[in-house]
Amino acid sequence: MTHADTDEPPAVRAKASGVASVKADAAPGATDWLAQQQGTVRRWLLSAMGLGAAGTVLLCVQAGLLAWALNAILLQKAHVRDVLPAAAAFVLLALVRAACSVQARRFGFEAGRRVVADVRMRVLEQFRARGPAWLARQSSADLITRTVDGVDALAPYYARYLPQKAAAVLLPLIVLVAAFPADWVAGLVMLVTAPLVPLFMVLLGGVAERASQRRWVTLLRLGNQFFDTLQGLVTLRLFGAGARRRVLLAERSEAYRRETMSVLRVAFLSSLVLEFFAMVSIAVVAVLVGFRLMWGDVAFTHGMFVLLLAPEFFLPLRALGALRHARMDAVSAAGDLAALLESTPPAAGTASAASSKVVAPAHPPRIEIEDVRFEYAPGRAGLDGITMDIPAGRTTVVVGASGSGKSSLLRLLMGFHEPSRGTVQVEGHALDALDADTWRARIAWLPQRPHLFVGTLRDNVRMARPDADDVALERAARAAGLDAVLRELPHGWETPLGENGYGLSGGQAQRVALARAWLRDAPLLLLDEPTQHLDEASARAVQEAIATLRRGRTVVQVAHRLDAARAADQVVVMAAGRVIEAGAPAQLIADRGAFFRLLQNEEAA
Amino acid sequence: MSASVTGPLRRFWRVLGSQRRWMMLGVLVSLISTLAGIALMAIAGHFIASMALAGATGAVLNYYTPAALIRAMALLRTGGRYVERLVNHEATLRVLSRLRLWLFDRLLPLAPARTGFLGSADLFSRLRADVDRLEHAYLGIGIPIVVALLALPLVLAVQAAYAWPVAVLTAVAATAAAVLLPRWLIVRSRAPSEAMVRDEAALRAEVGDLVRGAAELRLYGADAVREARIHALTDAQQMRLARLDALQERGQSLIPLLAQAVAAGTLLLGAAAARADRLAGPDVVMLVLLGLAAFEVLAVLPEAFTRWGATRAAAARVFDLVDAEPAVEDPAAPAEPPSQPDISLRGVRLRYAEDAPWALDGVDLELPFGSRVAVTGASGAGKSSLAAALLRFQPFEGGRMMWGGRSITDYATDDVRAAIAVVEQRTHLFDATLIENLRVARPDATRAQIEAAVHAAQLSECVAALPDGYDTWLGEGGAHLSGGEARRVAIARALLADRPILLLDEPTEGLDAATAQSLMGALATLAEGRTVLLITHRLEGLSYLVDRRVRMERGRIVADEAVASVSVASCSDRFSTTH
Repeated sequence: MTHADTDEPPAVRAKASGVASVKADAAPGATDWLAQQQGTVRRWLLSAMGLGAAGTVLLCVQAGLLAWALNAILLQKAHVRDVLPAAAAFVLLALVRAACSVQARRFGFEAGRRVVADVRMRVLEQFRARGPAWLARQSSADLITRTVDGVDALAPYYARYLPQKAAAVLLPLIVLVAAFPADWVAGLVMLVTAPLVPLFMVLLGGVAERASQRRWVTLLRLGNQFFDTLQGLVTLRLFGAGARRRVLLAERSEAYRRETMSVLRVAFLSSLVLEFFAMVSIAVVAVLVGFRLMWGDVAFTHGMFVLLLAPEFFLPLRALGALRHARMDAVSAAGDLAALLESTPPAAGTASAASSKVVAPAHPPRIEIEDVRFEYAPGRAGLDGITMDIPAGRTTVVVGASGSGKSSLLRLLMGFHEPSRGTVQVEGHALDALDADTWRARIAWLPQRPHLFVGTLRDNVRMARPDADDVALERAARAAGLDAVLRELPHGWETPLGENGYGLSGGQAQRVALARAWLRDAPLLLLDEPTQHLDEASARAVQEAIATLRRGRTVVQVAHRLDAARAADQVVVMAAGRVIEAGAPAQLIADRGAFFRLLQNEEAA
Repeated sequence: MSASVTGPLRRFWRVLGSQRRWMMLGVLVSLISTLAGIALMAIAGHFIASMALAGATGAVLNYYTPAALIRAMALLRTGGRYVERLVNHEATLRVLSRLRLWLFDRLLPLAPARTGFLGSADLFSRLRADVDRLEHAYLGIGIPIVVALLALPLVLAVQAAYAWPVAVLTAVAATAAAVLLPRWLIVRSRAPSEAMVRDEAALRAEVGDLVRGAAELRLYGADAVREARIHALTDAQQMRLARLDALQERGQSLIPLLAQAVAAGTLLLGAAAARADRLAGPDVVMLVLLGLAAFEVLAVLPEAFTRWGATRAAAARVFDLVDAEPAVEDPAAPAEPPSQPDISLRGVRLRYAEDAPWALDGVDLELPFGSRVAVTGASGAGKSSLAAALLRFQPFEGGRMMWGGRSITDYATDDVRAAIAVVEQRTHLFDATLIENLRVARPDATRAQIEAAVHAAQLSECVAALPDGYDTWLGEGGAHLSGGEARRVAIARALLADRPILLLDEPTEGLDAATAQSLMGALATLAEGRTVLLITHRLEGLSYLVDRRVRMERGRIVADEAVASVSVASCSDRFSTTH
């Protein structure tokens, strides 16, 4: 009837998940947020609690049966066949109780599952609402951890912790109600010790919990530092710093151990108190019942009954202690998730709700940008009042230092940024009046580092036009120079790419992006320094492929090497989110302005 | 279980060394408090039964001893639990520290040739999970199993002393609970556990795609499809989790069920024995309660045995990683490092595996002290292999590599590296303060030396802008430096290390042109008065650092040409006169 409390001390339990977030104290809103999520799964939680209560009622019946049978054996020397029905009923009830606990756990699990599915869906919705520009500025490892491990950490809280928390209040009450009529003295002992436990738990537990939470965070940080050291092994070897680092590691964990142990000596007092009351109440019940039995004040059946119930009285509370880490994990994850989900995202080009939107033109568009300002955050402008005219079917090259707003401009054109001021006109239509999907369908984009998705090479190219047939695919591959790459790959079009897939070199990945652009066959081509990270030979090849691709399209090209700019129809020089110069390259060189100075600098290097 | 099955865990046990004393102490204290808990219930049962009998028959009874025993057991249990938790914490923290240092000691000589797994997010997170498992092996496996193994025979002995059939019954049920049930659980949960690991990896990859490829997905209108896939994966993952959870709960509720069946059996056996006057009534009560309480130690066994398999696998994987031979061993009697390390390569060949193609296929290169050479070539041409051979991270198989006129293999590898300052392409910034990060290169650097290096690396402005200056926490928990700033930290480290040879590995790769250009001054200062080996896939913008350029293709040097000698200063002069 008893379970061991498998409390894994929280202070030695640090999750192995990669970039576990380390915050000294979880946001105060975290617990509120956890409580809010409870609403949708209340039904399941209540069912789990109900079954737990039913199990305890059955337990009381079992205790009664056992006490009765022992009484019969002890005082009446009962025959085996006299106690057989009671023993059989006892085992039968044990079966029903086991079924109850399995089912209760299932209900609890369902609650956890629903919260996980719901929160993960909202996280993804949030990602979509905030848009690619926001995502690009975040640490992707951190977002993955939050979305996968962080959300997963919520499940045990709802599945196990909350039902157990309710049980810790409800079940002792049931035991008490059962014990009182049997022996009011023992009932009184329980009743007196019971409120002392929560009282001491609050007094000591609050202190203890805060202390162990801080320890837990420190341990997490220590773990992160250790694994961070492993990732820096090469740097350590290069500087011959391995031995020193080892000393540091040893010192840190030694210091941590000393500090922790001195804190725990106090922190564990709270569980000492709980254990003390649980044990003392059993002992006191046993001794009191024993003497009253001798004096004949109480029947053996009743005395045995309360002795059997005494350990059960404190059991739910002890089991709750074992689940404390589930709560800590959830609170820490909830802090992150609440921050992510509850701040209202800046509108980021998702406002394409209206169906009366204009269908974007299918021919190479002319784009006029008028005094556009865009802010990442209040006061941090990505674009600060730019005005430019991008002629149809021509190439506009945008140059400028990093951070000058070149990439923001491309994202603006893709509709990933919502300007706070000014207008973007496409063929005379305001960009936000165009149907966002058809507008994006008119764009092909070559980023600096194209992303390769988990899937085959075919999937990766075909995503640019899902209805493309194999002939179109082959044609795009040839035009992009991807056919040469294909011949080298073990499984050709079926080669798996992405994480854990075949690792393509930068030049090969860029050819995949080029093939996507060919397949897309879009009238507006956006180039974001696609040759930046390539070696000379690959850069040349990609540039040649781009030269054919750009014909007859409106091209906006962000360039860091200025030889591209010399051949452009128009050059736009940007600095600090503004356009500082625009015009034909020859004209700009003649003017000896900003573009000319950039050219000078580049040749100097 | 055969030796090969327990092998990794036995080895893990040996690794723990002197910390094992703490673990054994923890087991002892746990055993005492567990037995006290069991005894408390058994004695209490016996006591009240005797008292009831005494009350009914009016017999005289020594009630002081059992009453005192009950109180003693209650206190022993309470105090024991407190001490047990403290000792087990102490032991766990000691194990943790010991294990990490051991891992560090084993992995350091393997980097980077045998530690490729550190660079893979997937393998690295698996290593973390494995180490985490081992750190919790003592609490999760050691304590429950050892305590059960020690406590159960004692309980059985007591039962046998009173009524051997009860002991047999308990032994049978305990075997079912402790041996058969866990085995069944392990078998049944293997497939869903493995599938769950796959689900999780797939989930991670899909979310990664959604985050990193957000722009492409939005542009191609594919984000909804991706989100649907993530939801489907979440459902699949949760379904498997549900199956595992139900399995575990079924296993866990089976143990109390068995305990209660044993109680019922004891009751019947006791009734028969009491009626035949073979057993006193109070002894029957005691035996029933003893059996119920004894199963307490078994309740944690299914989980412990489930962890056993996972922990054994984790230990095996970790040993697998650390058992690799270092790629390059030090000679038995290393030579004194030369004062002037001239470098000379003759027909040097290198490959990464027996059946791999030659990464270096006969490289001839003269690098007398003070020479400044760029090694260029496409990726895969052998540039990085050349650097790895020189740094003694990778062994070369053919040819000769001379270091100050003697074979480089005569020197300790640390001594060779101590002459080379490397500006890595991806330098590692430790999760520590800026100053600690700089002192990696020279622990005894004075404040003045550090400031000078920071100034020369053009990092001063960045330091001034950091919230806590030199004491700003970098990396994981702190401020993240931009690519250019990180590179400047690497340059400052190389300056602090102050070594005769400078190896620059793509020093401007990944930086935009303006940032790359702004590093010119810092790199030029760093290069002054040293042998310079510059590795880059394109020399453009870096030619001021070198006066010679060799081009590599397929592991060979195919061109060796002079580079027009230009200093940074004369660079801009020349430009302004020609335009």
